[in-house]
Amino acid sequence: MTPPKEPYQNRTEILQGTLDMLILQVLQWGPRHGYALSKAIRTNSGEILKVDTGSLYPALHRLERKKWIEAEWKPSEIGPRLRVYRLTKSGRKQLVSERSRWAILTSAIAGILNPAKNEGD
Amino acid sequence: MKFSFWKRKQRDEELSEEIQTHLTLGVREEMESGRSRRDAQFAARREFGNETLARETTRDMWGWRWLGDLMQDIRYGLRLLGKNPGFTVVAILTLALGIGANTAIFSLVDTVMLKMLPVQKPEELVVLAITYPKSTGEPNPEFTNPIWEQIRDQHDVFSGVFAWSQARFDLAQGGESHLVNGLEVSGDYFNTLGVQPAAGRLFVSGDDKRGCSGSAVLGYGFWQEHFGGAQNAVGSVLSLSGHPFEVIGVAAPRFYGVDVGTKFDVAIPICAEAIIRGSNSTLDVRMAWWLNIVGRPKFGISPEQVSARLQVISPQIFAATVPQKWKAESQKNYLSGIIVDSPAGKGLSEVRRSYDQPLRILMAVVGLVLLIACANIASLMLARAAARQKEISVRLAIGASRGRLIRQLLTECVLLSFAGAALGILFARWGCAILVRFISSPRNPVFLQFSVDSRILGFTAAIAVLTGILFGILPALRSTRVSLSSAMKGGRQDETPGSGHFRPGRWIVAGQVALSLVLIIVAGLFLRSFSNLLTLDTGFDRGNVMMIGANAHNANLSPEVRETLWSQAIQRLKKLPGVTSASESVITPISGVGWNSYFHRQTGASPVGRNALANINAVSPEYFATLRSPILVGRTFNVGDSDGAPLVGVINETMARRFFGGADPIGQYMYIDQTSGTAGPLIQVIGVVTDAKYRTLRETTPATIYFPVAQLAAQQAQGMSEQPSFEIRTAAAPAAIVKSAAEVFTSMNGSISLSFRTLEQQVNDSLRQDQLLATLSGFFGGLALLLAMIGLYGVLAYMVTQRRKEIGIRMALGAGKSSILGLIMRDVSILLAAGIVVGVGISLWATHFMQRMLFNLNARDAKTIIFSVAVLSAVALLAGYLPARRAARLDPNVILRDE
Repeated sequence: MTPPKEPYQNRTEILQGTLDMLILQVLQWGPRHGYALSKAIRTNSGEILKVDTGSLYPALHRLERKKWIEAEWKPSEIGPRLRVYRLTKSGRKQLVSERSRWAILTSAIAGILNPAKNEGD
Repeated sequence: MKFSFWKRKQRDEELSEEIQTHLTLGVREEMESGRSRRDAQFAARREFGNETLARETTRDMWGWRWLGDLMQDIRYGLRLLGKNPGFTVVAILTLALGIGANTAIFSLVDTVMLKMLPVQKPEELVVLAITYPKSTGEPNPEFTNPIWEQIRDQHDVFSGVFAWSQARFDLAQGGESHLVNGLEVSGDYFNTLGVQPAAGRLFVSGDDKRGCSGSAVLGYGFWQEHFGGAQNAVGSVLSLSGHPFEVIGVAAPRFYGVDVGTKFDVAIPICAEAIIRGSNSTLDVRMAWWLNIVGRPKFGISPEQVSARLQVISPQIFAATVPQKWKAESQKNYLSGIIVDSPAGKGLSEVRRSYDQPLRILMAVVGLVLLIACANIASLMLARAAARQKEISVRLAIGASRGRLIRQLLTECVLLSFAGAALGILFARWGCAILVRFISSPRNPVFLQFSVDSRILGFTAAIAVLTGILFGILPALRSTRVSLSSAMKGGRQDETPGSGHFRPGRWIVAGQVALSLVLIIVAGLFLRSFSNLLTLDTGFDRGNVMMIGANAHNANLSPEVRETLWSQAIQRLKKLPGVTSASESVITPISGVGWNSYFHRQTGASPVGRNALANINAVSPEYFATLRSPILVGRTFNVGDSDGAPLVGVINETMARRFFGGADPIGQYMYIDQTSGTAGPLIQVIGVVTDAKYRTLRETTPATIYFPVAQLAAQQAQGMSEQPSFEIRTAAAPAAIVKSAAEVFTSMNGSISLSFRTLEQQVNDSLRQDQLLATLSGFFGGLALLLAMIGLYGVLAYMVTQRRKEIGIRMALGAGKSSILGLIMRDVSILLAAGIVVGVGISLWATHFMQRMLFNLNARDAKTIIFSVAVLSAVALLAGYLPARRAARLDPNVILRDE
């Protein structure tokens, strides 16, 4: 009778849990606003990864709450001011740990996908 | 909450701005790649996805969603309540009555039983009492001064310990008394409690030494009233019962003493008791139990260690203070006493002892009233929820979750109950004031300090939330459990007959009937018990009797002069216009004061044990005539029964029966069993008087013997004639006699202090507790009945509108008015019967807790139960008849055209 209310979902193709890492990684290159961030992820992934804005902004605000990134309003040349995000010290640390976790994960997956090769080594 | 509310709003705006910019940037880029503005806008939006969802999920990240929802619910709830002012006002008033009554009774319970004393670290204090290994009763918290002095000098467990007693002092130096509440306290009273002076200084141990001169500490309130808070009150001299006392200081405000329910005006050291009572001083009397003792254990000493230590020192304390005059057996029992301690942080209270059970019962009664109020509002809400069915279905259809809707409906309910609670606190304040006036009497003023503090507010808020949820949960659950398709089609849910019309509403009403029946039965029991007390044959006629309490203590008269004075006074009182007769007695009926002894017959078998105990009063010859207690056999006293003449006594019927059985008691001799174990002088029985109540109305009439006042000396009770009472029977209202009667005394001796009270007042004061219970339970019973009837009427009226179609069809098919009437009334009867069965069941179980408070009445009194059921049924049938009649008058044509 009642449609079950959909819980919050990450609707992108991006693997669950990796969006935070991608945002932190992009911000390492310098402060960016939300639109630039989503564009950077898209272009740097060769247009493969699309960030759904329905996930981007919640993620940004979540990271902000965790104090991994900071936000600041900056005037822009196009008129409206922009909310620009910058990586914090703890964010940098977080990025390092997420990257190492990611590395372990990918090698583990690679091990499963190419078992023969691994055995051969 | 991490962020304040306004910050949330700012954040919300910033988020909109951020998203807007995102879209603008998107549009710009699309346009740069050559699209038209329109296309670019669409593309950017498509790219962005669900904007609202993004916004909502982002808000979730802040963890503020519940707050937003709550604010939204509250706004929505307020708007809805505003739209139905009639419903809202009825609901809020009902709740205010229910919650207010609960808050009022709780304040009383809190003040009397739960609240700590406003002194330093009250939780540390322990109160001492004596227990005897052989006795099964409560430990006795009263001590003699010799025992207190032993404890004071021998203990090693307390950092401070003090003794005190309550007393009344007369500020007037003759004429009409001006009594104040006094305290006799030991030197460490104030510093052990940690009370600071508001002016001057408080007592120290040095002030409480035998032979001290009179010094006094004032209570703050008394200082304000009597001295206007003047600084020069300190150092002034106060006359207490005719003796000068120098005021040395004033205690801090908000310190009223450690006896909850009283307030002290003047405190004097225990040693000054010798000044007040002179030769009657009890400082060295080993049989006068008048002091309470409280101590503060030394730091780090547990209550158990205190007990252990007290037990060790008990034998030597009792050995040093044993009353030598006692019989060996009594002495042995005395020596076995053990001093024990228990927590005293909440103070001692006579009020608590006597009102403990009434307060519990009242708490239960008001709890039931609130339940009925809840039920009432729940059924109103159910009816309203049915009216809102369509709105709710629409909201469910467009995706509101059931949980969210229930939350919203409950918010409305809690809003209602908070509004009711706010009003209820106002009601409670009035209620408390009235309650205290109820239990307070001029002789026993009750002083209770109420404040709407965090505890009271917390209690009220808690019951408000509980109440809101209680009356809201069922309607909320029910109204959100709908079949969308049928609701949206616009059909009425409960249309089909037999599918349980409005079933939960019916059960709520049946429950209400049951609960209000319980309250009506409780009220009926208390009212009947009270009326039993009022109409009780007391053995005397209480109407039109003024009593004058006279105190010759300050007049310094010899007993002989005093007695002549009293008999002259009677002669002059008798001659006053409007006086039918006048008499003297040492004890007045139902004053709560008594005098008794063990009696024996000179020859023949006497009753044994407590049966030999008889109450004593000493009266002048006209006493029986003045009180209209007829002499049944023999005669009353006359002038011949004087001091020096043979001792005589008049006994009541009970005593005659108990001591002499069927035999004629006139001319028989009796004697008193004196405390020393020797036999007292022989007393000849000269008359039998009708049975009369002596100390309280509730007692089974005790055996009583009357002596002539003239022979008090021979009975070794001359002290009793220092404060006699004079009874005057008047032809008209007794209050008119006060002035001329006072003149009789003041013209004879200006230092005699007087107090006036009618016998009726005295009797009624003894019934305050019963009156309180009868009045309040009567009031709440009536309220419950009213609420239940409103509930019943509302539910039936609603059911009738719901069954319009069915009724219309029935009528169209030939059902007459009476069969429709019968249809509805059958429903009413079923509800009523169910309610009555449950209600009587609950009552049979619950009322036995009240048995002790009922007078001459069984807690399962069949008459009361039948009468209550009859009242309830009559009112319920009336409440049901109105909607039933309306149903019967429906016009089938109109209904069927409408549908």
